[in-house]
Amino acid sequence: MKLDLAVIGRGAVSPAGVGIDALLHREPTPVEVDAPGEPGRPWPVLRVDLNDPAFARWQREPRLRRASSMTFFLVEAAEQALAGVSPADRAETGLIVAFSAGCVGYSRRFFEDIVTRGQRSASPALFPETVFNSPVSHIASVLGLNGAAYALVGDETAWVAALRTASVWLRRGRVARVLVLGAEEFDPLVLDAYRSARWLRRQNPANGFLASEGAAGILVRTAVPEDAQIIATARDGLIYRTKKEASAAAERLLAECDPALPCYRSARRNWLGALEEKTTENRTVVPLGNQPYLGEAFTASAAWHTLRALACLDHQLPRILLPVWGLNHQLGLFELETPKTQSDP
Amino acid sequence: MSRNVVITGMGAVTPLGEDFPDSWNALIAGRDAASPLALFDTAGCRCHHAASAALPPLSDFSAKATRRLARASRLAIPAAREALASAGLLDAGGRSTLRDLTFSVATTAGGMTFGETFLRGVLARDRAHLLSQVSRYLPQQQILDVQQALGFAGHSVIIANACASGANAIGHAADLISTGAADCVLAGGFEALTELVFVGFDCLQATSTDRCRPFDLNRSGLLLGEAAAFLVLESGEHAQRRGAAPICQLTGYGHTTDFFHLTQPGPDGAALIEVMRAAATQAGIAPAQIGYLNAHGTATPANDGVEAKAHLAFFGDAIGSTRISSTKAAIGHTLGAAGAVEALFAIEALRTGRLPPQLNLETPIPEIAPALVGGKESSRGMEHVMSVNLGFGGSNAALVFSRDSSP
Repeated sequence: MKLDLAVIGRGAVSPAGVGIDALLHREPTPVEVDAPGEPGRPWPVLRVDLNDPAFARWQREPRLRRASSMTFFLVEAAEQALAGVSPADRAETGLIVAFSAGCVGYSRRFFEDIVTRGQRSASPALFPETVFNSPVSHIASVLGLNGAAYALVGDETAWVAALRTASVWLRRGRVARVLVLGAEEFDPLVLDAYRSARWLRRQNPANGFLASEGAAGILVRTAVPEDAQIIATARDGLIYRTKKEASAAAERLLAECDPALPCYRSARRNWLGALEEKTTENRTVVPLGNQPYLGEAFTASAAWHTLRALACLDHQLPRILLPVWGLNHQLGLFELETPKTQSDP
Repeated sequence: MSRNVVITGMGAVTPLGEDFPDSWNALIAGRDAASPLALFDTAGCRCHHAASAALPPLSDFSAKATRRLARASRLAIPAAREALASAGLLDAGGRSTLRDLTFSVATTAGGMTFGETFLRGVLARDRAHLLSQVSRYLPQQQILDVQQALGFAGHSVIIANACASGANAIGHAADLISTGAADCVLAGGFEALTELVFVGFDCLQATSTDRCRPFDLNRSGLLLGEAAAFLVLESGEHAQRRGAAPICQLTGYGHTTDFFHLTQPGPDGAALIEVMRAAATQAGIAPAQIGYLNAHGTATPANDGVEAKAHLAFFGDAIGSTRISSTKAAIGHTLGAAGAVEALFAIEALRTGRLPPQLNLETPIPEIAPALVGGKESSRGMEHVMSVNLGFGGSNAALVFSRDSSP
């Protein structure tokens, strides 16, 4: 599908720090965390530092007094991406947030109370924050975005669905611009989940990812000729249940694209990495320089990769393929471009 | 670019029936599906009843394959299959004739029961079956279950805007078609009863320990339910090309966000009024032209009072000639499926002229009392119907369906 989305704002929160510069250049430091189901054998994890001064103003917001950590990541990334957008223009700005696990911290706490202390101990303060779209509601309220708002769910490809949806809203004339975000938060429970799925590895750790968290977002509008960074097209909908089906889907996905286009490699330290390497072996690989490893945070990772790939666009790399590998449903891909008129002297 | 959007197929599994015709007939007959909840223990809750659905048999699944499915998938697969069949899009083997079919879906909890079992296992240090639990609880797994059961792939989007999600999924499908991003979309929602969600509403004291009485002055809370419902939407040209007869058109969709509170609508109902106006404006109609409104009507004290005010403000003097009911008294609040099931009921009212009665009504809220549907009412000749939903987080959505006027 042709998207023609111009990227006019960007924001990021990651274990590397707050802001785009940290996302591109800073190496995060893992911390050790126990999985609840396997205490005493900690895993390295990449966490966002919520003591960063950037979060202080959000922690003072009355609306956010009970909000999840993910909400703080999101609101900070959103505010960065909206920099310079007036309050009046914000009212015409749509909001789409792509999640994978959602507010897993509150969900775990709420249900753990039920299991360990009984249904009578269930907290009415926690339950509303377990709902997927509660962070979306908080962001909309705090940042004054009262137009269209969707919470989308899925694996990494929910990020692709989010950008497709933004394109449809813009074509439909529902909004003038759309803020699209991806987010994930860490809770120790996810270590048990990832361990069960064999996504974490004690033996041969290079084949297992580091659990991570954060958010990132881009502000988009319909592209016009003077725009410098454009998400031109999206492909998705190639579903799989088995690795064999994923392999076939990846071959098909990349076969549909111009073989001359260089490819950004985004899958690292999971089984999709080998698949990506194999299916892109005949393509030029976008050089990533010293971009540090940020761990796996699903839709947040997809958003981070999009920001990093956009940063690679220049006159020598005016078009890039960006695969978005979903870990448990489907595969997707973007084609990014910078018009030659922008980069040619 | 804007193309007309028609509905050509519908399917549902609800607490009132294993398919849409059974559900509709029971609804019109005035049945309600509230019963003691047996899916999980509710000993510590205030409320002990809900509207649970009987799961239709899946004849093409082995017993083992059926056991691996989330309850949500057991609801969603037959509902989606019925929608495709009624649109003439199933082959003799029960597979979609469109291999590339866009899927716009709503849910709030996905396969949460698997997530609950996973957490219990972790807390008990019981590592058996953790992988199968965790790998199947996320909503995309139920999407994949439906896609694989019915033999189609393609772009999918899962909208989780709480209780407005179902209406959003349908409205989004219409946006995809009208902008040319898709020709045909299977759209709807599903939700299975889960302990986490049930206890959540119970601890908020949002569930009723009495009967669910939408728009009654003595209402005391909602009845939780479960369901799945899907529509086939396509462009008029696409339907015409394959000789499919439209049931109706989707002519209006509005959605907006209410800032007031995470779990309560603003007291003036402004966001709901705005969203109804937006949908009516897109449909090119005045409020008085809406023959029937399927209201959100949860029967919670906070929702129904605000909603009644909003309906009065929207319809104005036409409130007396408009017919309104909330079908949640019959099937319960089905959360992510609500907007989809209720859209189907509104469409069937448009198609048949029969109106779902407002059940359990004794002392109606005066503002909209004249509009609430009584028993065995019908209204032939309606041209337009509306369905509205509100959700946690301030999600508001409205859909307008109109009699098909294409040549």
